[in-house]
Amino acid sequence: MNSLSLSLLLAIFLAAQAGPTERQRVDNAAADRGRLVYTQYCINCHGSTAKGTDRGPDLIRSAIVLRDRMGNGIGPAAQKRPTHQATLTDAQVVDLSHFLHQRVESIASNRNPRGTLNVVTGNAEAGRAYFNGAGKCSTCHSPTGDLAGIAARIPVAVNLQQRFLFPTLARGGPKQVEVTVTPAGAKPVSGVLVRLDSFNVSLRDPSGEYQTIRRGPNVKVEIRDPLATHHALLDQYGDADMHNILAYLVTLK
Amino acid sequence: MKRLRNASLLMLLAISLYGQGTVDLAKLLRPTPDSWPMHNGDYSGRRFSTLSRLNTGNISAMTLAWVHRANPGTGQAGGGGSAAFPIKSTPVVVNGILYVTIPDHVWAIDARTGQEIWHSTWRSRGGWHISNRGVAILGDTVYVETPDCNLVALNIRDGREKWRREICDLEQFYYASTAPLIVKNHVIVGVSGDDLDIPGYLEARDPQSGDLQWRWYTYPEPGSPEAKTWPNEEAMKHGGGMTWGAFTYDPELNLLYFGTGNPQPVINGRKRQGDNLFTECIIALNPDTGKLVWYFQPSPHDTHDWDANQTPVLFDGEINGQPRKLIAQASRNGWFFVLDRTNGKNIVTTEYVKTNWTKGLDAKGQPIPDPAKEPQVDGALVSPNQGGSANWPNPSFSPATGLFYTHAMRAFSVYYLYENEDDEKPQGWGGNDRGGWSEAMLKAIDYKTGKIRWSHPWDGSASTRSGLLSTAGNLLFAGDASANFVAFNATTGAPLWHARLHTSMTNGPVTYELDGMQYVVVGAGDSMYAFVSTTSGASR
Repeated sequence: MNSLSLSLLLAIFLAAQAGPTERQRVDNAAADRGRLVYTQYCINCHGSTAKGTDRGPDLIRSAIVLRDRMGNGIGPAAQKRPTHQATLTDAQVVDLSHFLHQRVESIASNRNPRGTLNVVTGNAEAGRAYFNGAGKCSTCHSPTGDLAGIAARIPVAVNLQQRFLFPTLARGGPKQVEVTVTPAGAKPVSGVLVRLDSFNVSLRDPSGEYQTIRRGPNVKVEIRDPLATHHALLDQYGDADMHNILAYLVTLK
Repeated sequence: MKRLRNASLLMLLAISLYGQGTVDLAKLLRPTPDSWPMHNGDYSGRRFSTLSRLNTGNISAMTLAWVHRANPGTGQAGGGGSAAFPIKSTPVVVNGILYVTIPDHVWAIDARTGQEIWHSTWRSRGGWHISNRGVAILGDTVYVETPDCNLVALNIRDGREKWRREICDLEQFYYASTAPLIVKNHVIVGVSGDDLDIPGYLEARDPQSGDLQWRWYTYPEPGSPEAKTWPNEEAMKHGGGMTWGAFTYDPELNLLYFGTGNPQPVINGRKRQGDNLFTECIIALNPDTGKLVWYFQPSPHDTHDWDANQTPVLFDGEINGQPRKLIAQASRNGWFFVLDRTNGKNIVTTEYVKTNWTKGLDAKGQPIPDPAKEPQVDGALVSPNQGGSANWPNPSFSPATGLFYTHAMRAFSVYYLYENEDDEKPQGWGGNDRGGWSEAMLKAIDYKTGKIRWSHPWDGSASTRSGLLSTAGNLLFAGDASANFVAFNATTGAPLWHARLHTSMTNGPVTYELDGMQYVVVGAGDSMYAFVSTTSGASR
């Protein structure tokens, strides 16, 4: 037994240590080598993304690949025959296995974004007009006031898009949801909302006192949410408005 | 010796009790008030109980009977070794024993006392441990699916394994989470998984052996008119449509009903133009043959992950003065549908919460998706969000009020298409939604018109994920996201009773009557709470 075979066996043993439960753990260095193997011997028929061509099947959707561990399925399938001209070494098969598993894992996790999303597609001037017009954004916000330098503070455009669509209030920040509770025949109590459900409302009054008041048909609860306008805008924005506003905001550096 | 004799007596008692512990088909067809013998309580999916000992007049006196906190132990479960709480399963209750699950675990619990009788642990090979919906029971066998793609038969007396059958291929990224349903001599099982582009299917298995009786793929026969809703056979046969929702059954029509999940690739649908049948459909099958009888598609060509797996609820009603056999679904996409369950013809289609993704209805009563609201590289603002207006939590229908009850989320998010997957053959997801704002409501829908009879705003809850239960006591049970378990007047929507649990309710509640007392049991996180009527005596 040469040392390469020994290391292969060790690698298989280590992969198997994870048990049959685990998918093959991709060794990125081996996958890089496997990519070269793939490019040299496989790409013409199975395609640049391993998703197949007219000449060879999709390897991402291949049960052989999905069930493979360290080349034990890919190796026999890749053996020399009329459609497979190359003779791959055991080490190349293992590398190829890592590469193909890497491709599979990449597809299986592509619900997660990779790289920058190109979301700035709108018209900045139209966005400015919406900001000052139909959107009434200028009622509360100013490009030279609170929004000055917003694009520098939130440099990733998609994060800026998310922020203006779905803003949140910082806990303990200057703006909070406030509430006034008026039980029948009693004085109103106002303060910062701590908790609200169908049955109780809890607040912290200006003196810092925590109070919970049981809700009922005769208890009036008035909520003042600084973000209410943003929530209402979700019904108003067209997608073009959304893109234009972002194009405008990214100019506020 | 005395101790031994006592032990023997206990054992005899136990055997006599356990000897009752079987379920026959008659019990499934006509559930008794002391039981909740299948996932939805009965085959209709209404989650309506005929019990009325607890009612609008005495619910305020309902009190806590017991709490069972599940202890899965350590080092046993799959999914990285930690147990996959919360409890999302609906318990099945037969012969005074309640059976409840999380992925890889089944507990048998005394329905009167909360005493644990047995706990069965499955040594997992993997799979997504997102949920388990619960068990099915027939004879002395408890059937449960596992995340690593097994249907496992357990002995009802001690939880020991009788047999296991692989129902899907873990290596292809399938997993299993569905509550099986017993229909005659079939165990109906569904499958899950949408990481890769694999086809969904439904299976019938032999209750004794677990052997496969039939498998129905959620794609059309190649060459059929429905196959033309895909660009090619390759896309169709890798087009998703999982079967992870609740199943319902009409014994008279001998039809099995269920919804199917999202098409694949999930978000990037640009290379699967067409309606993509039979994804996101309500399906009627012959349960003996697995042959398709009819279909209706709530979300043609979906690109938002809006699985139509919500329970298709069966009830008999009256439309324009005529008695009709009906089926209704409050779908994840925000739309409510009432169909004739003999043929799938549409009767009512309405929004039960405002949405922004359609361009009207087609001739069949199906929403027409607005292409502009498909995921875009620069984002599309869509309502509802991916979680949907409704999701897996079970709806309820009360024949006493004629109202269909569902949680309703009004939710917004932005759907992005990822350019790196915008190639000639998108696979997997190729995008996702992000962010959002939402508000949650509980709604009662008049099935005849689709109009909202009442709506309870869940103040303080952005999203609610509890199942519902209605009863002949004119009660509706539900949970909010502030950990309240609430009983409503089912007719008016007035909240009558509530209790704050240690965490929000996470499953569908059940009810049963034992020793002249009506129990209501609900799961929250890692615990089961049993509430009980404090007054005995005749039901009203």
